[in-house]
Amino acid sequence: MNAGRLIILASSAILALSLAAAAWFGGRLVVDHRDNALIASLATGHDLAASPDDPAELRFARLFFLATRDRLDETQPLLNRLATDTDRRLAVAALYDMANARLRIAIDHLGSNRIDPAVPLVRLAKEGYRRALVLDPGFWDAKYNLDVAMRLVRDFPQIDVDGEEMPPEAAKRLWTDLPGLPKGLP
Amino acid sequence: MGRLARVAILLLTFLPAPALAQLRSVELYAPRPFGHVIGDTLTLTAEIALDAPFVLDPASLPQPRALDYWLDLRDVRLSDHGIEAGVRRYTLDLVYQTFYAPLEPRRLDIPALALSAVDGTRRVPVQVPAWSFLMSPLREIVGTGPGQALALRPDLPPQPIPMVPAWRGLVAALTVALAALGVLAWQMGWGPFGWRRSRPFARAARAVTSLLAASTDVTSNAYRGALLALHRAFDSTAGKGVFAEDLPAFFAGHPPFGTAEAEVRRLFSASRRAFFGDDTAGALKELPPPELAALARRLRSIERSGA
Repeated sequence: MNAGRLIILASSAILALSLAAAAWFGGRLVVDHRDNALIASLATGHDLAASPDDPAELRFARLFFLATRDRLDETQPLLNRLATDTDRRLAVAALYDMANARLRIAIDHLGSNRIDPAVPLVRLAKEGYRRALVLDPGFWDAKYNLDVAMRLVRDFPQIDVDGEEMPPEAAKRLWTDLPGLPKGLP
Repeated sequence: MGRLARVAILLLTFLPAPALAQLRSVELYAPRPFGHVIGDTLTLTAEIALDAPFVLDPASLPQPRALDYWLDLRDVRLSDHGIEAGVRRYTLDLVYQTFYAPLEPRRLDIPALALSAVDGTRRVPVQVPAWSFLMSPLREIVGTGPGQALALRPDLPPQPIPMVPAWRGLVAALTVALAALGVLAWQMGWGPFGWRRSRPFARAARAVTSLLAASTDVTSNAYRGALLALHRAFDSTAGKGVFAEDLPAFFAGHPPFGTAEAEVRRLFSASRRAFFGDDTAGALKELPPPELAALARRLRSIERSGA
């Protein structure tokens, strides 16, 4: 095989390969563009079902949509998949947003003095923050909110048996700062 | 009584002596012992030196697990540095993560770790010492404003899928495709590359093809034109007029064309008939138009492959 034929074969092969690569990238751009449009419409408040085959960003957008509307039961399957996803950044964000949603609902319950439904929610929120921090130990917002949740649960030592993280005298000092505690009879 | 006490002391000093000799040292390297907050990871590094026949028992290494309600052991990494001057050295990295939420700076302890070293028959304990550190709170105990104690940090909003990598890939792929197309066109003599002066046979082949294809029944004029085009290609390749008697010198100067020597000689004898013998019909018989076109293509490909 002479040099000219070799150059022709090699350049044709490179041309075919690079055209195939260009087609693949172009296809990905089209798909990404469509998914970004779906993410944007979820962000503006239009609910769309996300299938398990969708990209992680779209599933996270749907999780965020549900979590910020307190539809936690529907969120759980999405969270389970995202938390084990290879994309660590999205797993952390999903765990954190879900824990935030639970903690907000728990704080609402405490605000109207419903302690019993609040405690399991706070515990689940703590679990979520811990899992997020295991994946990303430098995530300061999760540290802060975990600290908030820790103090909430420790302030009901009669319900939370493992709430021995705080010395009792500190708990007493904090008592008056707590929401959802009886302020006395009218 | 005093004598008994002395014996006891002697016994105490002698009895653990063999075990101490097998364990040279355990040194603990720890991060700063203060200023840690909830969720921080702490990496303790223990340098362990053992006398040569002893190896650290891998089964005695702790598994990553929750050690306490506030303390997780995340990762255990052991690296063996081999034996040097009769001493085997190990580096043991222990990664802990603390989830304690203190209200004020508070001292906490990471417990000691009991490992063991074996040499096949004997087993000696290796103790990685305990370590204590100060944890700091993140927030004030009593909020200054109303509702501040329960103000959460905001959610992480969803982000669009980044499209820049795909764009970059598309541009790179198209650039490579364009470059490959350029090389291919240059090599095949397509488009503007076909008129390059260095490729007279490519031009001649095009002329021959168009002349012979112009008329279904090949007239003598078109045939002679085709012959002329090829002759001009020979002339411009050699840099001077090439006649039948110059052919040996031409092939010596341009060896790749030697592979087509027989056909080239036929071409020259046919053109001698057509132009000097005025016998176009005989020339047509000697080198029919399809063979002339094939020869033109053959010469073009010889020229392309680096004549």
